[in-house]
Amino acid sequence: MTYRIGVDVGGTFTDLVALEEKSGRVHLVKRPTTPHDQSEGVAEGLASLLALQGIPETAVVYLGHGTTVCINSVLERKGARTGLITTWGMRDLLELRRQIRQDLYDLQADKPEPLVPRHLRFEVPERTLFDGTVLQPLSLEDTRDAVERLVRDGISALAVFFLHSYVNPSHERAVRDLMARHYPNVYLSISSEVLPEFREFERLSTTVLNAYVGPVMERYLTRLEERVQGLNLHVRPYILQSNGGVATVSQAKERPVFTMASGPTAGVAGAVFVAQEAGYDRIITFDMGGTSTDVCLVEKGTPMVAAQKEYHGYPVKGAMLDVHSVGAGGGSRAWVDTGGFLRVGPESAGAVPGPACYGRGGSAPTVTDANVILGRLNPAYFLGGAIRLDPALAREAVEKALCRRPGLSLADAAVGVLTVVNAHMASAIRLISVERGHDPRQFTLVAYGGAGPMHAVAVARQLQIPRVLVPPSPGVLCALGVVVADVKAEFSRTWIRKTDSVGPMDAAEIFEDLETQAKEWAARGGLPVDELRLSRSADMRYVRQNHELTVSLGSRVAPGDLNRKFHRLHQRVFGHSSPAEATELVTLRLAARIPIPRPKLEIPREATARLADALKATRQVYFQETGDFVDCPVYDRSKLPTDMPIGGPAIVEQLDCTTVIEPGQRAMADRLGNLVITLGEPAGAT
Amino acid sequence: MDLFTVEVLQKLLLGAAEEMGITLIRTAYSPNIKERRDASAAVFDPDGQVIAQAAHIPMHLSSMMELPRVLLDAYPRASWRPGDMFIANDPYVGAGSHLNDIAILAPVFVDGRLIGFVANTAHHADVGGRVPGSESGDSTSIFQDGVRLPVARIVSRGHVDDGLLRTILLNSRTPEERIGDLNAQLAANRAGAQRLQAICRQYGPDLLRQSMREILDYTERRTRQGIGKMPDGIFEGEGFCDDDGLSARPVRLRVAVHVRGDEIVLDFSGSDPQVPGAKNVPTVSLLATVYYVLKAVIDPDIPPNAGYYRAITVRAPSGSVLNPVPPAAVAARFTTCQKVADVILSAFARSVPERVVAHCHGGTLAIYSGVNPRNGEFFVDYEVYAGGSGARATKDGMDGIANHTTNTSNLPIEALESEFPLLVDRYELVPDSGGPGKFRGGLSIVREVRGLGRDLTVGGWGCDHRIPARGLFGGGEGVPGGFHLVGADGEVRQTVRSTVPAVSLRAGDWLRICTSGGGGFGDPLERDPALVSRDLLAGKISPPAAESIYGVVLRAGEIDIDATERLRARRRELCSASKREP
Repeated sequence: MTYRIGVDVGGTFTDLVALEEKSGRVHLVKRPTTPHDQSEGVAEGLASLLALQGIPETAVVYLGHGTTVCINSVLERKGARTGLITTWGMRDLLELRRQIRQDLYDLQADKPEPLVPRHLRFEVPERTLFDGTVLQPLSLEDTRDAVERLVRDGISALAVFFLHSYVNPSHERAVRDLMARHYPNVYLSISSEVLPEFREFERLSTTVLNAYVGPVMERYLTRLEERVQGLNLHVRPYILQSNGGVATVSQAKERPVFTMASGPTAGVAGAVFVAQEAGYDRIITFDMGGTSTDVCLVEKGTPMVAAQKEYHGYPVKGAMLDVHSVGAGGGSRAWVDTGGFLRVGPESAGAVPGPACYGRGGSAPTVTDANVILGRLNPAYFLGGAIRLDPALAREAVEKALCRRPGLSLADAAVGVLTVVNAHMASAIRLISVERGHDPRQFTLVAYGGAGPMHAVAVARQLQIPRVLVPPSPGVLCALGVVVADVKAEFSRTWIRKTDSVGPMDAAEIFEDLETQAKEWAARGGLPVDELRLSRSADMRYVRQNHELTVSLGSRVAPGDLNRKFHRLHQRVFGHSSPAEATELVTLRLAARIPIPRPKLEIPREATARLADALKATRQVYFQETGDFVDCPVYDRSKLPTDMPIGGPAIVEQLDCTTVIEPGQRAMADRLGNLVITLGEPAGAT
Repeated sequence: MDLFTVEVLQKLLLGAAEEMGITLIRTAYSPNIKERRDASAAVFDPDGQVIAQAAHIPMHLSSMMELPRVLLDAYPRASWRPGDMFIANDPYVGAGSHLNDIAILAPVFVDGRLIGFVANTAHHADVGGRVPGSESGDSTSIFQDGVRLPVARIVSRGHVDDGLLRTILLNSRTPEERIGDLNAQLAANRAGAQRLQAICRQYGPDLLRQSMREILDYTERRTRQGIGKMPDGIFEGEGFCDDDGLSARPVRLRVAVHVRGDEIVLDFSGSDPQVPGAKNVPTVSLLATVYYVLKAVIDPDIPPNAGYYRAITVRAPSGSVLNPVPPAAVAARFTTCQKVADVILSAFARSVPERVVAHCHGGTLAIYSGVNPRNGEFFVDYEVYAGGSGARATKDGMDGIANHTTNTSNLPIEALESEFPLLVDRYELVPDSGGPGKFRGGLSIVREVRGLGRDLTVGGWGCDHRIPARGLFGGGEGVPGGFHLVGADGEVRQTVRSTVPAVSLRAGDWLRICTSGGGGFGDPLERDPALVSRDLLAGKISPPAAESIYGVVLRAGEIDIDATERLRARRRELCSASKREP
């Protein structure tokens, strides 16, 4: 027997799954995350997973890993002391950004502090023009002086950024060679290697961030590899990137900036896999945690991709899953504003003091408190009973803070909290679906995270999403995501040309070059180059537009074909197109992928034969549809019989989450243990 | 009625406005709208009150509030039909804030019943008139500003009026761009109308109607609560614009802010009469500026709808620079508005100093035009440069940032150079340009540009070039900016400030544009020496400034604390007599 292991490190828990390749059976281990060094928790988890399941070291053939090391080092500002070498006259680009302020009306706001302080930013004489012509050659002497001063000042990472290096990278390469000769120990991030695309601030920001997290990620991954070897495992870990694919350790060390969203990506990758196994390939993922909620739209098994994201105020450009985040979750605080409206978030009670019902000194009501008041959450079985919730404290908090309107009952107030937070969720999903030309009625909502399954059906109802799928467990889902992800990378080059002027062979040279890069990249990572699958695309726009859409290409670039595809896409995304207008190519892209064989999936459960055997209790739960508390059956998730309908209202409990099924809805546990809820017309609705 | 439903509807209606805004910005052609986000979208109730607005820049707050009334004045209610849209830009009927801002309004019906309106407005880079860009400060009549559109039916039952459209296009120097932008505006309204109809069908017209009323009442309550918490009194502010657009005569702006209970009245009496140039501020723009400042000072979170406007009264004498009568030109009203914002904030500094900022750089605009030698085509490149923002009660102002009523992003140098025959040699912060203070004003920026190939023409304007951004409570002034033409030999040939009529940029010459620094806050001698040393390390102030302005004495690069204390004490004695009021 052979096993694939996936490890996902979250804020609280490190989740590990072992998937037995032949049977598809999955085993889970949960360990507390070790924030000072995530690899410690990973190694402990691995050791106990092997011991518990009796897996011999030699039977492990794959190890995938999702990590938050990168994003944490930015959040905590604990990245490397980083220097910058840049074009003469451009020292402050990093600080000037796009010159806009983040908040229009908050006069006390500030820009994010630049990750390279001004005294570590050096300009050197050099200049390349937009067409690659060198106007002024690079002064190597000045560059050497600048680097020497930076090294004396204690930098451990250096970002190199020159204008128009995406057309002609020779000056940046000269600096690279100089560093390799004289300072091989300084982590180097070169803009034309990290992201050879135009628009200087975004390229610079991505390059600097890559340098800033580089040494941290390098040290972490080295430690991780040592610990894995220490366990006698003969696999090299693969690291999950923001693009939904994995990369080898050496590749992740080169471009760590592209692992920034490793965390939320794991859940999406897992959700896609589980939903596809269950027969659904158009899904919207709904990951509702304590302080925030992540949503992502997946069309035909492929998650939507964003070209740019901001992490704690620092933009990163590059293809990554378009996971949209809203600052509201189970721990979000509810409050009444000065106009008398109930608001939820963006402040959160966090883990300490936590919601009022935790009894840890929190006095502000939260979404979790509302769920407790309405009987939806079981106070004695929160996190399997690890935290006992006190409903009296929840009631007190809601009464004090929210029941100031005359005639407003406690239940009304609690329902109000859920209504408002669900509206936040619905508008987040609307943004990624309706506003981008997708009809939510054609999708399945895949709910996970600690609070996702509790709110999913209400959110789905608002958007007329017909079906909710709750995967077996949030922890399993994220760790699974890491096991099933393909190896992925993207290579790009800005190449601005009028589409009609492009001959069939013009772009060929660029694509050949990108292909060489992809092959070298695979070879450096020790990956099988002959298994690479390459696909081409191009960012296009109407001439004079300043906003591009990505069009996929065949092996030949034919202007007529390109234009047709672009007009069609423009029509779909924006609702209109102008087929008479000229278009231009902006950036050529090559996506490289090495597919990981799709594993079978078998999640062991102790399913019972009759629904009655899964019944834990009956308790009073409030539903808006009934307008009152009603007797509601509570089921044990692990015991639910397969393929047997459960009529709402019902509550389904498990260790790490609770699923709410509203009156009139029907649910069924499938072979894999997914709970699939079909939304009918809610009872009593008119 | 259930109040939570109202809250949900408020969110949905705002979502509709935002969706329109996103559609408009993403589909528009011109960088003005795409990159500068100089556009806005709104949803109105059937009475024509603004319910929800997605204003991407504050200059557009309220810019459409009068549109339904303007429509009703021109077309009787019975003549509106489903699928109709109306276009307007004339500031003197209340349709916009200058002719570049073209608004399109659509009444929205469900089953024959009017359920509200949707509208959007966008800055068009050229609407005809005397000069390319239609925004010259030295125009003397609105007829020189460009084509005037009273309200006119541009779409009738879904069919675009071709004659009207072609008339507008014929009056612009860049018709291809205009048609792209106008199409985006029509598409945005269609998206907005559909959303509003869907919301109406889901919740029913009566519930929607009632919720709209509740939303306005709610906003009014919040606004009044916020005002009620501020000290009562009459607070005055005064400031000067660099010039009137034609001559270097400064323009006086004055405000008396009356806060009484839960109401605010802003009285601009005492401001100068309307000016001969184009720096007059039409009512819509004055209101936008007031609404921006009050939102920032009272509660940045207040939704900008008609309920918010109810608690605020604005008075400006007719015939003044802040309430001109036709045919005064208004194209360059923006620079005046920026100073109006500073002046109102100065007034509030006397009552809520912790919520304000010292005077900010209002912005600098450069318009490059000429023939592009790469393709022989005429081009116009329109760029806005940021400067320093004013310092605050507890922190420095921001360096190199867009301030107040605008929030214009820069055009990436790599995009600019790929498209136009221009070369940017320098784009950096200017050390020592921030107004000194306990907290320092933000630094200005310098941009050096060369034309490649042929001679080019440069025009534009800059704020605070003659009259620097003032500090508060003893804080100093920011360093004023200017346009400097530099010869190939490095010598400055010509310096132009404030209003820059078309000057010629010869091939090989340079243009050095400096924006202005923000004002400081508090006495510079009270600045924490650690902050002075941080600025020194970063090169944001020079060593001489550390000593002469901040009284910080350095020995071998380190602060000499004792010597600093002695120097500061001596300085304080010397100037204790001349302590300034804000």
